Amino acid sequence: MMRTVEEHVVGTVGEFPEGTHRVVRVGGREIGVFNIGGRFYGLPNLCPHQTGPLCESKRCHGTTVARPETGWRTEWGMEGEVISCPWHGLEYHVPTGRCLAFPEIKLRTYMVEVRDGQVVVRL
Amino acid sequence: MTVTTAERASGRSRTKWQDMLIVDADVHVHDTPRALIPYCDMPWRVSLENIKDAHENYLDIPAFSPGHTQYQPSWPTGHERGRTVTTPEQMRAELDPIHIDIAVLFPDNLLKLPVLAHPEYAAALARAYNAWLAEEWCRPGMGLLGCVCACPQEPEDAANEIRKYADHPGMVGVFLPCAGVDPMWGNKRYEPIYAAAEEAGFPVLLHSVTVVHPVFPHNSHGFATDIARHTTSHTFAIMANLVDMVTMGVQVRHPALKIAAVEAGISWVPFLMMRLDKEYLEKRREVPWLTERPSRYMKRFFYATQPIEEPERLRDVATMVSLFDGEDQVVFASDWPHHDFDHPSKLNQVPFPDEVKRKIFAENALRLFGIDEQARRVRR
Repeated sequence: MMRTVEEHVVGTVGEFPEGTHRVVRVGGREIGVFNIGGRFYGLPNLCPHQTGPLCESKRCHGTTVARPETGWRTEWGMEGEVISCPWHGLEYHVPTGRCLAFPEIKLRTYMVEVRDGQVVVRL
Repeated sequence: MTVTTAERASGRSRTKWQDMLIVDADVHVHDTPRALIPYCDMPWRVSLENIKDAHENYLDIPAFSPGHTQYQPSWPTGHERGRTVTTPEQMRAELDPIHIDIAVLFPDNLLKLPVLAHPEYAAALARAYNAWLAEEWCRPGMGLLGCVCACPQEPEDAANEIRKYADHPGMVGVFLPCAGVDPMWGNKRYEPIYAAAEEAGFPVLLHSVTVVHPVFPHNSHGFATDIARHTTSHTFAIMANLVDMVTMGVQVRHPALKIAAVEAGISWVPFLMMRLDKEYLEKRREVPWLTERPSRYMKRFFYATQPIEEPERLRDVATMVSLFDGEDQVVFASDWPHHDFDHPSKLNQVPFPDEVKRKIFAENALRLFGIDEQARRVRR
């Protein structure tokens, strides 16, 4: 059986300036809609850790990373692509939904498109 | 041997524990100033000559092993608190009746090496101890194997020592003394030690002892009693150093390095795993080199049993091991001849199935130390 795809217009592009995000209600769900470098992403506004309102966090940011190539020294990465839960600080990579501390945790990601100046969330 | 479900459930042994191979990850040799004199470089040999007749309390020799006996009352007792072993022949004769086949040797007095203030003196003592151990004690044919003592005050010198003994048939690991060590063993100043150990195929083994010293967590001067100091000095020191190593990414930088915690029991392991994971979810950014939750790194450590917990329900010990998936990581240790040694029969009373007993009594240690059942090194 084909899964029905719901589409919801959640605002105009102008309401989601680059580098911002906000929580929208669609289909009984709260979804964080993010504009990162002109690309749009959607995540549930629910941290699976202790049900915190993940996407109500004030802003996306970068975070620390370390690689063997640089001797595991602390570097700055993923600028603007990380959101941390306002309750306990658990970090997620917005484009992939991946939890940085616990890689086995991956949030559902929603497809968000811009069509004719409208921001459309697909469920 | 196949273990039936009924046996597994009951933990009942079909094989007598005395007939199992037993590898002991922690026994102690008595390293006196006098014994080390012939192996010590000048001018430090002069210092050993000067104290060779000094009065010796248990783990308490001035200018050699700063002790804490002056802090406590001294009662008469039949408890042989000052047992020492001074020759390989004596060690073999004392281990045979308690059915220990292979034993890994640690020092008595040099357990306190890190609290010696002079780094060159400390390094000279470590070199002397290693040479003495290699020459007089490491006897694979007698089931006696040594660990290279790594002097934290001089990490480059310690790394040289590890390289010196990398191919020695009787050396199977590196002893990291924890009593009063500052900074702790997660600090990057110790990288040469870890690199050398990894290259040599040696595990590193954390071992602490009771000290009163102005360094966390040994600043235990607030305690009135030895029950308090002894409870905390060993276990807290191992916990603190292990937390430092995990969070600072020693295992990330040295993925082939095996690490063991010795003489701290096991009951704290589940607590620390859970505590670290809880902190990690909030503070991952401080430790970006970790790619998994800290408990996963802790599960790769080896843990020596002594002093094995003796709860009213002894099966709780088996439960605790299961809480950290430890049946492949726990190794038996007796701590012979020390006052709080564990007889293997105590571990045997824990209702583990035989196959797990075999792992804890021997198989895990053979893997940890890279030896076969005849105490021969099997890999570099």
